[in-house]
Amino acid sequence: MKELTGILILLPFLAALSCFLIKSSRIRSFIVLATGCILIISSLLLIPHVPFAFTPQTVFGLGVHGLIQAPEFILMFAILYFGCKHRSLLVIVPAALQIIFVAWFEGFMIHGQKTLWPAAQALYCDNLSLIMVMIISIIGSIICFQALPYMKNHEEHLHLSITRQPRFFFVMLFFLGAMNGLVLSNDMIVIHFFFEATTLCSFLLIGHDGTEKAVRNSVRALWMNSLGGLAFIVALMMIYRNLGSIDMQQIIRTPPGAGLSFLALALLCLASFTKSAQFPMQSWLIGAMVAPTPVSALLHSSTMVKVGVYLVLRLAPAMQGSFLSQCIALFGAFTFLSAAALAVGQSNGKKVLAYSTISNLGLIFACAGLNTPESITAAILLIIFHAVTKALLFLCVGTIEQHIESRDIEDMRGLYAKMPLTALITVMGVVMMIMPPFGLLLGKWMAMEAAARNIFVIVLTAIGSALTAMYWARWAGTLMSDPFAGKFKLEKQPVVTWAALLSLCAGAGILSISVPWLYAGLFTPSMSLNYVPPYSLNNGILENTYGVFAALPLCLIAVLGFLQSIWAVRGATKARVCSPYLSGIQTAEPRVFVGPMHQLVKAEAGNYYLSNIFGERKLTIWINLAAGVLLTLIVGGAL
Amino acid sequence: MTTNQGMLILAGLVAGPLLGGLIAGLDRILTARFQSRIGPPLFQPFYDVIKLFGKEKVVVNVWQAFCANAYLTAASISVVLFFLRSDLLLILFIQAVGAVFLVVGAFSSTSPYSQAGAHRELLQILCYEPLLIFVIVGIYLQTGSFKIESVYAWNHPLLLKLPFMFVVLSFVLTIKLRKSPFDLSTSHHAHQELVKGLLTDYSGSFLALTEIAHWYETVLVLGFCSLFWATNPAGAILLVGLTYFLEIWIDNVSARMNWRWMIGYGWAMGMSLSLVNLVWLYAR
Amino acid sequence: MFNKILTKARSLSPWVLHFDCGSCNGCDIEVLACLTPVYDVERFGMINVGNPMHADIFLVTGTVNHRNKKVLRNLYDQIPDPKVVVAIGSCGLTGGIFREAYNVVGGVDKVIPVDVYVPGCPAKPEAIIDGVVLGLEKFKEKAKMAACMRTSNSVEEKP
Repeated sequence: MKELTGILILLPFLAALSCFLIKSSRIRSFIVLATGCILIISSLLLIPHVPFAFTPQTVFGLGVHGLIQAPEFILMFAILYFGCKHRSLLVIVPAALQIIFVAWFEGFMIHGQKTLWPAAQALYCDNLSLIMVMIISIIGSIICFQALPYMKNHEEHLHLSITRQPRFFFVMLFFLGAMNGLVLSNDMIVIHFFFEATTLCSFLLIGHDGTEKAVRNSVRALWMNSLGGLAFIVALMMIYRNLGSIDMQQIIRTPPGAGLSFLALALLCLASFTKSAQFPMQSWLIGAMVAPTPVSALLHSSTMVKVGVYLVLRLAPAMQGSFLSQCIALFGAFTFLSAAALAVGQSNGKKVLAYSTISNLGLIFACAGLNTPESITAAILLIIFHAVTKALLFLCVGTIEQHIESRDIEDMRGLYAKMPLTALITVMGVVMMIMPPFGLLLGKWMAMEAAARNIFVIVLTAIGSALTAMYWARWAGTLMSDPFAGKFKLEKQPVVTWAALLSLCAGAGILSISVPWLYAGLFTPSMSLNYVPPYSLNNGILENTYGVFAALPLCLIAVLGFLQSIWAVRGATKARVCSPYLSGIQTAEPRVFVGPMHQLVKAEAGNYYLSNIFGERKLTIWINLAAGVLLTLIVGGAL
Repeated sequence: MTTNQGMLILAGLVAGPLLGGLIAGLDRILTARFQSRIGPPLFQPFYDVIKLFGKEKVVVNVWQAFCANAYLTAASISVVLFFLRSDLLLILFIQAVGAVFLVVGAFSSTSPYSQAGAHRELLQILCYEPLLIFVIVGIYLQTGSFKIESVYAWNHPLLLKLPFMFVVLSFVLTIKLRKSPFDLSTSHHAHQELVKGLLTDYSGSFLALTEIAHWYETVLVLGFCSLFWATNPAGAILLVGLTYFLEIWIDNVSARMNWRWMIGYGWAMGMSLSLVNLVWLYAR
Repeated sequence: MFNKILTKARSLSPWVLHFDCGSCNGCDIEVLACLTPVYDVERFGMINVGNPMHADIFLVTGTVNHRNKKVLRNLYDQIPDPKVVVAIGSCGLTGGIFREAYNVVGGVDKVIPVDVYVPGCPAKPEAIIDGVVLGLEKFKEKAKMAACMRTSNSVEEKP
């Protein structure tokens, strides 16, 4: 178990270094593939050992805390350096302040004493950490696998003479290691180190292409996340002063209000909100979509933005019943609604996915804020299924984008004609996002039932849910908008791409079917410390006093219904094909009709984006204003 | 699974087409009488559906077959779950599966009528889904549970405590039954605007499947209405009958409105009525 | 057995597509009059559908001209089998009084096969209803013919 943890945290760093140094692309691909496979296997092998906690052996007399002190300062000076290089005061000030605060904290506050409570361990892994490790290792690795053909294609497309792939895979693998370290740590200062490490990785990856837009957006990501890191360290200082330690488990076990300042918790939540790109700090995530798609899939949907929700979920027991918690619920629900509204007005595919990510993260925050056993279960479900499904959708969009050289939904109209399997997988991904019996809907159902007593949260969530269905259904329909006649001809894609897409798709399906076992095995134990198990499980049906969700029977019926519908499609292939109704003036070409003066006219169609109501420019201003008010409420209420 | 549950499942599967078809036939007769006509025989919808099954199979896009079947499956499962007295929120989400597949099927054809109809249908879903969730939450706050069995265990008719919620529900009913003023995406015969809108490029057996799915949805939403007087079967039938009569009457006296009016009026009215009802509940 | 029910249902649920192929609208008004309360063809289950893919009976009025003959053909092709075509009014039968005009094709049956001819200028609603009911008889014939084709496996031309 100790070796496995070592592999999960340290191997990616070593692999990253070797990727950077080795020039041969074949060996680099092999390293990435091998590292990914080892990470996947290690994370799966970790399952029987959970829960566990241990402190690794001291190296040169330094414990974990001591070991990260020097890298911490190197990291913060690196951020300061980049701030100076890009002449951004917004980066320089928080970075400098962080250096000062960390130095103060390490030098004067801790002064060589232990940061952990006497009986606590440096590394801690319970079911929640295990879930995060599996998401990072398995989904992260699959994304890195798909990045191999993607980046090759990307660089060919850009006609790069010198390959930048060593740098790319260095940062990607480094990031995986940093994430694993973050979720397995118990010591908050170590978590802060990994927190800032992911900030730096994000900055490097967003600016990877080196264009002016990429650089601008990467600097924006850097300063916003640095502000988050600053809030983090200030909170840590306050907590240390109150509790005498910065041990995560100790913080959680402190009864609410008993000596733990709510302001510190509010600042930690603020740092989490920044990391998860909640309003009004969402612009860095939207801007980050200029990065290559594997970056968007890995950092900005599945893993890095989940750090914020992971932290708040961890801290949830310490905030039970407080005003702070209620405010977080309201804020999360508000984000869920507003991000969905913004997505309705978007036609850029990656931006739709980005807003959808922010929306789902808002829902998870709302669940954490509601702080009941049902909502925490819902939050964990949402984390898992959102990570898998969103990674799948991002990889699909990346594949589509490389083929048609556009990421606009309007250009994906009738994609089924050119890329049938990819279009079908994308539609499958959309179906998994919004429909029962898949896990994401199960999580949303649980969240809504948990929220029903809170009038504001349920109103916001209800409207948000309807908006969500709208923009997803619109996209799925647009992809299939092609009068189809003829044989299904499989398009050509690299084997790794098919493997990545199909494995994620199958994974989401299998996970959805295994929700009853996941619930019994992973969720209930991880929560029993602080919450009573909310649902009883009979024959795969989740039930409690006020709600019932027949998960397994519905999965079965869904499979049967799917097979029956596919069989109907096979029958329909023998049917007579007719052109779409164009008032009788159609021609042999499906979209073309005979217009005035016998001119052939192409029937154009466009989606409703309702930009008067949901247009990004106008709406964002109002949303940011409202979000600012809510955040002030959160911090002010904590005072 | 007990035999009792098996019977209920069978009843649900059978009741949808049978009851729904009879209600559709009644609808057409009543509409005709309102218009000083005689109207078709009561079993006309059944003749229509059987005839459609006998038509030559014509498709614009083979995935229409998938979507029509998925719509029917989802609608029938939601009715079965209703008969099994399951969770109201779950039933809503399953019914939404069918609605989305219907839209995707309409999108799969490039006819402008189909596309415009599909967008309008999405806007309709956007309008009624939050309202339906408010009604369900209202029922939850009153009975303490989302499960239908708790509504039947409640000793008083819900209508007494949730009258405004019933008005909101009838609003949803108007949209779901595709009655004026909200028959934007597709409508019954002789109310055409976009030819047949959403259903323009469905034909033959696939149109028949969507019609049967529509019957299931009719049974489902009328079933929701019946929950408001669950204590007395006669009362439930009276309530549902009166409401349905009112729907047909409104259909015949109003013109089709546009989606902006639908969403604006629907949300404004729906939210204010829901809030008033809930505040009233808590103030007592 | 199912075929019997099917044939019965076909004659009980005839959905009508009405197309004006250059008519003066006289016959069209009479066709629409059939839907009004005075004649009320919905008693027979007839509905005016706007879309050929939903239709069984194709009511065509007007002489056909060289522009809309393609439309007529397109619509006819889009109607799924079994279908019945009813030509209404003297223009639809032979071109009527416009027969000699340069742009007139001269009657629906010059473009698509017609099953029932309803004369008149304009044709009376009673005559139109009569014609459609006659067309319903054709459904039975076509169903029988389709059954014969299935059993005998021989190729026959449709009338």
